[in-house]
Amino acid sequence: MKFVDEFRDGELGRAVAAQILGAVEPGRHYKLMEVCGGHTHSIYRYGVDDLLPDNVELVHGPGCPVCVIPMGRVDDGIAIAREEGVIFTCFGDMLRVPGSNGTLLDAKAEGADVRMVYSPLDALRIARAEPEREVVFFAIGFETTAPSTALTLKRARAEGLGNFSCMCNHVTIVPPLRALLDSPDLRLDGFIGPGHVSTVVGARPFEFIPADYGRPVVIAGFEPLDLLQAIHMILVQLREGRREVENQYTRVVPYDGNPAALRAMAEVFALRPHFEWRGLGFISQSALRLSDAYADLDAERRFSVPGVRVADPKACQCGEVLKGVIKPWECKVFGTACTPEHAIGTCMVSPEGACAAYYNYGRFARDRVVA
Amino acid sequence: MTGCDHDVCITCGDVGVEMRVVRLDGDLAVCEAADGDVRAVEVALVDGVAEGETLLVHADVALVRL
Repeated sequence: MKFVDEFRDGELGRAVAAQILGAVEPGRHYKLMEVCGGHTHSIYRYGVDDLLPDNVELVHGPGCPVCVIPMGRVDDGIAIAREEGVIFTCFGDMLRVPGSNGTLLDAKAEGADVRMVYSPLDALRIARAEPEREVVFFAIGFETTAPSTALTLKRARAEGLGNFSCMCNHVTIVPPLRALLDSPDLRLDGFIGPGHVSTVVGARPFEFIPADYGRPVVIAGFEPLDLLQAIHMILVQLREGRREVENQYTRVVPYDGNPAALRAMAEVFALRPHFEWRGLGFISQSALRLSDAYADLDAERRFSVPGVRVADPKACQCGEVLKGVIKPWECKVFGTACTPEHAIGTCMVSPEGACAAYYNYGRFARDRVVA
Repeated sequence: MTGCDHDVCITCGDVGVEMRVVRLDGDLAVCEAADGDVRAVEVALVDGVAEGETLLVHADVALVRL
């Protein structure tokens, strides 16, 4: 298949791996963060890290929106789902994210009308088909998903659909990166920039990373050769003393992103003053709400929600995993009490979560001492 | 079970789906993925979409022409 087969070529992969080996300085340890959960998934699905020298370490970033959603927001969604007459729609993975007292799937088992959709447009179709019911879409995701929500809300407005609303949990990628760079816990040498987020926002928003923090960024695609090439490009920048934003994924990502998508988002959304990220705490201007012009379609204004901050389970170390401070298998409950079938932490829920990626691809036993 | 058969979580757009435009249908385009999945896709964000083109689609919205 075009753009797939040629980026999974084993011989080319080994050649790029050899170039990576030639680009590292012996005795230096490199910590590179892949920002995006899709990258985390690809790295472990294809064993990309097995092709890297021991002194190149990949750190998994906060780029899985399911993984960073705090429990309180799940509780708010469940409260709306339990309202009389509501059809609550969300993506599949959200159904299994634990709140303080169960998941949306539990709420469904207890009688709430919770339905999985593949897109917000599916939710809009339900609203058209069932005009006597209130249909709420639980919007989540980075800037890749936000345009879809924005266009759906514009359609709802144009069609005068009074029974459709949105609980907005969209987040933005740049503020958590700045928070990570400001964190004393973590020393990073470079970033593998998110691929499809950048189709919307472009490469320009990442320019602050080399400019303010002196770290290289290479925006990368999702095939194994994309990732290997991006890692090589970062290492070459470091070796040559360059610090800039480069785009490995030029076949998909325009440097200026998608202006039409950005305009739609600017019309429909406004920045929240602050938003809680699981493991990272409150980050200023890191999430979106509906703009005043679309306030009548805001589910949080239409329904009452608890809006209570809930502490994470004590056993769960998702926060440290999301900050890259520990590896998933170093969490006390990883692979024992916490598995994809029965997740305690959000990182084990989504296939893009670092814990699920390790678990699903058999990397959970790594570095464990065998008696 | 979530009922979601995707290998990768669709919640995060970072694994978009490549889809071929089968036909235009008003503001939407009927598109087909390599696995045979057919969806009505919003194409308002990509100028001048034509039949036969390949688009990167996330959550039923085309983000870029490939």
